[in-house]
Amino acid sequence: MTFTQDQSTVTEISPRELYARLLSAQPLFILDVRNEDEFKRMPVEGHATLRTLNLPYYDFIEDEEAALARLPKDVEEVVVICAKGGASQYVAEVLNNHGYRAVSLTDGMIGWGNYYDTRDVVNASWGRIVQIARPARGDLSFAIISDGQAALVDPLRHINVYRELIESAGAKLTTILDTHVHADHISGGPALSKETGAPYYVHPYDAIHPIDMLPAVIAYEPLRDGQVFQIGQVRITTIWYPGHTLGQVNFLAETPDGGRYLFTGDGIFLRSFGRPDLGGKGEAWTPILYRSMFERLPRYLTDETVILPAHFSTLDEDAGNGIFAAPYKQVLSQNDSLKPRSLEEFTSFVLSHLPVFPPEYVEIKRVNIGLVEPCEGKASELELGKNICALAE
Amino acid sequence: MPHFDQTLDVKGAKCPMPLVKSRKAISELPVGQVLQVISTDRGSVADFQGWVKTAKNVELIAQETVQENGQELYVHYLRRTA
Ligand SMILES: [Fe+2]
Repeated sequence: MTFTQDQSTVTEISPRELYARLLSAQPLFILDVRNEDEFKRMPVEGHATLRTLNLPYYDFIEDEEAALARLPKDVEEVVVICAKGGASQYVAEVLNNHGYRAVSLTDGMIGWGNYYDTRDVVNASWGRIVQIARPARGDLSFAIISDGQAALVDPLRHINVYRELIESAGAKLTTILDTHVHADHISGGPALSKETGAPYYVHPYDAIHPIDMLPAVIAYEPLRDGQVFQIGQVRITTIWYPGHTLGQVNFLAETPDGGRYLFTGDGIFLRSFGRPDLGGKGEAWTPILYRSMFERLPRYLTDETVILPAHFSTLDEDAGNGIFAAPYKQVLSQNDSLKPRSLEEFTSFVLSHLPVFPPEYVEIKRVNIGLVEPCEGKASELELGKNICALAE
Repeated sequence: MPHFDQTLDVKGAKCPMPLVKSRKAISELPVGQVLQVISTDRGSVADFQGWVKTAKNVELIAQETVQENGQELYVHYLRRTA
């Protein structure tokens, strides 16, 4: 077989098309041809209808027949994925020569990892709430747009996504809000603030690195409990919710039609809640989280209040349309971790559900308050893999 | 630097070409000889390690990273064993 990358005739699938396929829950077969370590660190995840096989591309180079024999017999259509999109073309061409219908993911996992999906949660006469997701990482952020004004909640690192969204809505960015200083990803807040002049708000307790005990060197406005922002016709109230971090807040957006939308950050998730140990002080912060969850927050919640968290753990959490939000009543019924517990029960529940502590999370918190400034390569390396902010299910 | 018999320069070649060309070069190498592969593809480091685990007649003797004119070179030493 002759092969050159430039002349490949293999059909490609874009990250956008792949995401649509993953959300649709139609049967899908992914052949991931990266090496085993890369695959384990960050596979493409989907619904239960997704089947994935890891078979490194060099197995096809070494022994094509043997590699082909390891594919399931009932598969016809294959999405081939690699790190950057080169090896997947090579393997897809091999498959196509053997009667499969194979497509190669454009730009591989780099393309997938940097793919953003934007869709409206609500679009009403008063304005819009838009969800901006980075599906590969399970990261969610939001824009609230009303009467030509826009606020962002937990904007992610690739800030042009937000600039374009706000510009196409004909709005002006007036307020940048972070629910907390994130550990799993680099915030786009400070960079957006620098570029647009819109103030960046974060709670002052999070402006101190919890392990280094060093103060932030970025420009920020300190958030306080109860602080209100008016974005056009939408009123946003800050609710201090310490536990995942000491300065974690929730933002409650109230709309003129009586809608209540709670941006919970890494407070409560749809199927779990934010772990209290990422500041290195899990034992001290667990009772604080307990009081936030069972004493501070309930008075702001109604059954209909829509919960919009900063993460999802699996695609199964979506409401069937790529929106990761649900009314509080529904969240309660499907989220076992929120059920009433004594402090003792809660503490042992937390301890028995703590996932690994990714070492890079300490460094990401440094980046987010300006203590270190990584180059692009280093930044994307820090953000490899999916978030591990939630307790394990 | 380990002893080697032949050199394969795949600077600038992107994945999967460093490995495709190395496989071909190894097949043309006399048994027992060592091939030096010079690549600029960082991913080749882990991929060569993974490849030789199941490869029929290839042994990875050493890998090194060297600087040349401001760019990193990833150098692999492969022996044909059979
Ligand atoms: Fe997080």
